[in-house]
Amino acid sequence: MNKKHANPEEFTTLELMAVCGSRQIGNNEVVFIGTGLPLIAAMLAKKTHAPRAKIVYEAGFIDSNAKDIAFSIADSRLGYRASAAIGLIETLGVMLQGGHVDLGFVGAAQIDEYGNINTTYIGNFEKPSVRLPGSGGGNDIISSAKRIVAIMTHEKRKMVKKLDYLTSPGFLDGAGARERAGLRGGGPSLVVTNLCQMDFDPETKHIRLATIHPGVTVEQVLENSGFDLIVPKDVPTTELPTCEELALLRTVDPDGIYIPRPK
Amino acid sequence: MCMYRVNAVLNWSVTSLVEKSVEDKRISLKEAVSLVPDGASLFWGGFGFQRPPMAFACELVRQKKRNLSVYTCGSEMDIDILSGAYAVSRFELAFFAIEGIGLVPNIQRRIREGAIEIEDYTNLAMALRFLGGALGVPFMPLKSMLGTDLLAKTRFRPKKAEVMSCPFSGEKVVLVPSIRPDFSIVHASRVDKEGNAQIDGIKGEDVEGARAGKKVIVLAEEIVDSEFIRSQPDQTVIPNIYVTHVVECPWGSYPMMVYNYYDYDMEHVRMYYDQCKTEEGWQKYLQEYITGVDSHEEMLQKIGVEKLLKLKAKKPFPY
Repeated sequence: MNKKHANPEEFTTLELMAVCGSRQIGNNEVVFIGTGLPLIAAMLAKKTHAPRAKIVYEAGFIDSNAKDIAFSIADSRLGYRASAAIGLIETLGVMLQGGHVDLGFVGAAQIDEYGNINTTYIGNFEKPSVRLPGSGGGNDIISSAKRIVAIMTHEKRKMVKKLDYLTSPGFLDGAGARERAGLRGGGPSLVVTNLCQMDFDPETKHIRLATIHPGVTVEQVLENSGFDLIVPKDVPTTELPTCEELALLRTVDPDGIYIPRPK
Repeated sequence: MCMYRVNAVLNWSVTSLVEKSVEDKRISLKEAVSLVPDGASLFWGGFGFQRPPMAFACELVRQKKRNLSVYTCGSEMDIDILSGAYAVSRFELAFFAIEGIGLVPNIQRRIREGAIEIEDYTNLAMALRFLGGALGVPFMPLKSMLGTDLLAKTRFRPKKAEVMSCPFSGEKVVLVPSIRPDFSIVHASRVDKEGNAQIDGIKGEDVEGARAGKKVIVLAEEIVDSEFIRSQPDQTVIPNIYVTHVVECPWGSYPMMVYNYYDYDMEHVRMYYDQCKTEEGWQKYLQEYITGVDSHEEMLQKIGVEKLLKLKAKKPFPY
């Protein structure tokens, strides 16, 4: 197959984000997935570099090999050729809290500079302006998985200095805080957005620009970030999807349910 | 005593034992819902789009229940309907949305009106709270919620959770209170008239939730003969010992899905979501599909056989 990188005009930003997510999945890893882009990323990884990755959905589908796109993490589509269909105590309790999950994917309405995440309220707790879905298994996954990848859109109101509500723990207030709080998992490792990828400084656990997507400038990233972002001297461009990845990606979601097809 | 008489007595007692050993717990959906008084607390089964007790929710609305408390991990259109109709005033849960589509519209409005209060936990915390209730212990420990507002902020519970050091190792754990709701409401795949229930596909938190309730109502897509259940006892996830009532309720999760039985009706779900963005739209839906029909069966007639047949699962796919 074609390992040549595609040209930037040949793919959309959502496709690039899905490929970025997919590359975080290692072969043989146990991976917790939600719906949306992470679902596409996982399905792509299984078709490319990580055919033996075990994809787990918290509702109870284990080692899923779904062929159709699911709307819900409890969707029967995810049961197709799964190795087991159990329940939450198994997935979030034994598998995740028991220490068997390598990587978890999460979304966020807000994220702060230590990777803490809000998925519960916008506005103040007493009189919120919007009630979001809540933790679901998000807090459990971020608390206990070895690595976490967040996928979200890059907007100033989402990349904030202070969260309206801290649903899921990143590095809390910095280095050592997770350990002090009693958390076992490794915390966030990467944030994939429509502008860039960000990781966390190993010393301070502060968010840092890792790679920048083609055609995007550092200024654009900073303009769209409400928090302080560490910008290293040299920021590489995000590795572009290969022609093979793109071709396979388009077979994963042929109807464009989560990734509308490029014109 | 002559031989003939001995045999007759033996035969009589054997037959009578068999008859007594099978209790018939079947009642109608309307009867089951009428047992739930205003102000009751419910474990609410199903997870996301999978096996929500939709028919039970709509009948609770038809019977104008008020002030219910609902405990669940994650629910969607079912609890949005209960909220829109002011049947529920308190939730303890981890998640609600209409996945892949958007935020639940009625709950947003009812929160703003102050008609609903929500105590937030995580999915694992809620599942463990049900397991704790089922096990008969007052709390359960877990390693989630640490360092977050899920611990720091409480809505209405006098005590929501507590951090403590393990008395054996010193490790920090979060304790969450177990739950023993008045009723557990679970929609299963199949059940016999004694209440032995089998669930195909994922179980979510239903296995624990069904064991936590003081009374347990099992609804199912089909009632099967006890001999069928007993020919595959390894598939039974809720033994009859826990079950108070059984309700035959085909298409009971429509327009959501039941593994191996039917797919969701996405057209209907999207229509619900779009229409319920406004209060007027919700009132129209409520009238058309819930209060304007007399029963679950009448609602199904409104949807139509043609549509339902299209949604039936197509083997080997469970949808």
